[in-house]
This record gives sequence, structure tokens and C-alpha cells, in this order.
Amino acid sequence: MSAVLAFLGLLAVAAGAGFFVAGTAGVIRFPDTPSRLHALTKADNLGLGLVVLGLLPFVPGWFFALKLLLVWALVLLSGATAAQLIAERVRGPEPPA
Amino acid sequence: MSMAAVVRRGLPFLGLWLVLAGPDPSGLAFGLPAAALAAGMSLRLLPASGRAPRLRPALRLGAAVLQASVGAGIDIARRALDPRRGVRPGVVAVPLGMPPGPARDGFRLLASLQPGTLPCGLDGAGRLLVHALDTGLPVAAEMHAAEALFAAAAGQAVRHG
Repeated sequence: MSAVLAFLGLLAVAAGAGFFVAGTAGVIRFPDTPSRLHALTKADNLGLGLVVLGLLPFVPGWFFALKLLLVWALVLLSGATAAQLIAERVRGPEPPA
Repeated sequence: MSMAAVVRRGLPFLGLWLVLAGPDPSGLAFGLPAAALAAGMSLRLLPASGRAPRLRPALRLGAAVLQASVGAGIDIARRALDPRRGVRPGVVAVPLGMPPGPARDGFRLLASLQPGTLPCGLDGAGRLLVHALDTGLPVAAEMHAAEALFAAAAGQAVRHG
């Protein structure tokens, strides 16, 4: 593995961690529950994607790479589904037609 | 349900098993039945539509989703960290052009990855209620653009009455 790839990988992981921090800040600062869901799902989706991307240069084989990508895909799917279910539950009054 | 449908639905499940459990041949004694059972259950919950996704529009959709995910993450991070930005949240009703069904549910799933939008149910008139982080943005127009991309990939027509 080249040093350049390793460096880029670490950079991506650090950027991913940054998005997790930003997402957490959003959960604390945004005023209502649906907005907090936005912060949770979108920032973490990108954060996890960057972490997975950054770890790819370090995996011992393509098989582990597929597993990492699968973890990301499953988190994406479950996160997007759960966020909509929660949003539907806490939704406020409907806008005028 | 036909054998061909089971095989077509089961192959991705078998792939999933291989990625999760590893390519060890002795594990296939469990993996093959598991994939077959998953395919049977999946076909019962979601019968085969006969409409295959179209490759080129699907790739376009994939690229758009990736781009939207990155944009959404950056947008959230800026709003969360910069006190001058912040949010103007609200619910916007967006009329949908796709008929109810699995394809529309799939679109809803991807729509929550778009910057600033989170679908949160349907209203009495069948419009999609979207929670928007910033109601000053053209929410409906963005949703319609995403819907058109998704419908093209799913091989479906969009009709706005």
C-alpha cells in the first residue's frame, strides 16, 4: 500500500469524523425533532461514507472492502427508513391545501 | 411463483450471504437455503413486477444520489456549525407524479437523502408531505427533479395532473 493512499485514507476518515461532530451539533442546536432527524441522517450518512472510503486502502482484500461498503449501504437504508417513520409520528399540523 | 423469479430474486441474497459470511464452501450449506427462503419471503411481500430497472438511467440516478448525499451532508454541517445560517423548518406538500407502489416508496427512501428534505407522510389528497429544513428553498421543484430521475431508472412514467 502506498503512503499516498494511506494518507488520503486517513484524511477521509478525519473528514468523516468531522461530519459526525457537525451532525451531533445539529442534533443539539436545531429547534425541532424533524430538523434534528435531518442532522442525524444526512451528516452521518456522509460521515460514515467518508470513514468507509478512508478505510478501504487498509483492508486486507477486496472481500473486506465489500463488507465495509455493505455496512454503509445497510446503515443508509435503515437510517433513511427509520427517519421517515419517526418524522411521520412527530409531524405537526398539515399545511393549508 | 416461478423458478426463474426465485432465482432472480435469490441471487442478490446469496451475494449478501457471501459478503457477510465469507466465500467458505462449507458455509454454503446454510447460505443457499437461507437465500432461497429470503427470496421466497421477499417475493411474497413484494411480487416481481416484470419491470427491470434500466441501466443507464439507474447509473444517472446513482450519481445524482451520491452528489445529493455529499451536498446534504455539507449543507447540514454548515447550518449546524454556523450560527448565522440556522434553519427555517416547515412542512411542504408536494404533489407526486408516480402512482402508489414499490417504486414510489423507493423514491421516498432516496428523497430523504436530498439536501434539506425529509418525507414524513402523505396528506388527504395523496400529496407527499416533506419536512424542509429551509422553507425558503424551492422544495417542490427539487423533489420533482429527483422524482423524474427515479422514475426513469425504475422504468415508470411520471404524470403531473
